[in-house]
Amino acid sequence: MYSRNHVSVQSEVFDLNQETQALTQGRSDLGALVTFTGYVRDFNERPDVQALTLEHYPGMTEQALKAILQEAEQRWALKGTRIIHRIGRMEPSDPIVLVATSSAHRQDAFDACNFIMDYLKTRAPFWKKEHTLTGDYWVSARTSDSQAAERWLPRAEAY
Amino acid sequence: MNTANPLSHLNTRGEARMVDVSEKQITSRTATACASIKMQPTTLNLIIEGGHPKGDVLATARIAGIMAAKKTPELIPLCHPLMLSKVEVDLTADESLPGILIHATCKLAGQTGVEMEALTAASVAALTVYDMCKAVDKRMIIQGIRVLEKKGGKSGDWDFSNEEENSTTTSKQANQTAAMTPPTVENQFSVHFFAELREQLGVDKLLLTLDDLPNPSLADLLTQLRNRDTQWDKHLANHNLLMAVNQQMVKPSYQIKAGDEVAFFPPVTGG
Repeated sequence: MYSRNHVSVQSEVFDLNQETQALTQGRSDLGALVTFTGYVRDFNERPDVQALTLEHYPGMTEQALKAILQEAEQRWALKGTRIIHRIGRMEPSDPIVLVATSSAHRQDAFDACNFIMDYLKTRAPFWKKEHTLTGDYWVSARTSDSQAAERWLPRAEAY
Repeated sequence: MNTANPLSHLNTRGEARMVDVSEKQITSRTATACASIKMQPTTLNLIIEGGHPKGDVLATARIAGIMAAKKTPELIPLCHPLMLSKVEVDLTADESLPGILIHATCKLAGQTGVEMEALTAASVAALTVYDMCKAVDKRMIIQGIRVLEKKGGKSGDWDFSNEEENSTTTSKQANQTAAMTPPTVENQFSVHFFAELREQLGVDKLLLTLDDLPNPSLADLLTQLRNRDTQWDKHLANHNLLMAVNQQMVKPSYQIKAGDEVAFFPPVTGG
């Protein structure tokens, strides 16, 4: 099943249709496809975000995303998963991240997609720097993101 | 094509020739080369602070490297002229050297590799740094010019750090960090900083040796780095600091080994 999975860290924009087709084409055993797309907002810690730059740790990022995908595979009955994360400079309304999960029954795809995003936000080495009219700043990690990730932990697990 | 001769630039009579590549497949090829230039700490400070009499050294050297890559076939007799699709030259200050680290990456879709272009870019960028700084420091040393990584083409992917070992897929993945110099000296390990921390410390990478660490745990390394000065102490004091070794998250009790790629970074904010 691993060949149906795909992880990519890229500066190019992705095409949602193309990515979902890659999962669904020639398949009649899929009962559900869930996709999540994250976009650049024009407001965050400051109200006038003009652009952001996404930095990552080359090599480790890909490994971290693969590890998250594999953990999702172990927890849910998935038929194919794609994770695409963009890097570099992006502007409001640009898509940043795509997670697409497919399964026979909807709950697996829903939960796995949610889980992958929660883990991606807290474990994959990406950092956002936002550019605003009043200057640039590095985005701080949110407690709500770590809490979201913690709900998937079967027991206390800390780095 | 004469495949028997390991030196493809010699014909059957041992004379120099330009290799006929017309039958080779067009593939996407990338090569990364590096060089470093060691200098007095005061010279490095002049460069970092931009107070240099000849102007912005790093920006000038970067342009020089890019221009040089395009001139490679005019300099190296048997090198093919190439349509480069990308040339990227990065210069970073490394206070532990002390000096400048240069990484040059060249890319194209073509029939021959681009490592000569990457090497030329790295070399000329280093020469330019020397030229711009020689008035204040004549003892600079240009060193470590080499190909780090090569992708695409008949011989496939190649990576400086993987050359000697029979690399498994996992170790290959672990070494996919194109821009990072593999440690070469015995007992050496590298420390990388990312995002805000990199900006705060003004350095993206240090090469250290285990001999400098009485107890080689990550926690002790952190203490030693914090002892460097008040700025380092301040920025590394963040208790949310994350640490990874060889691209896996680890705990502070981890014992550092020679060749390790250690990384410190702030909490992640992707997605």
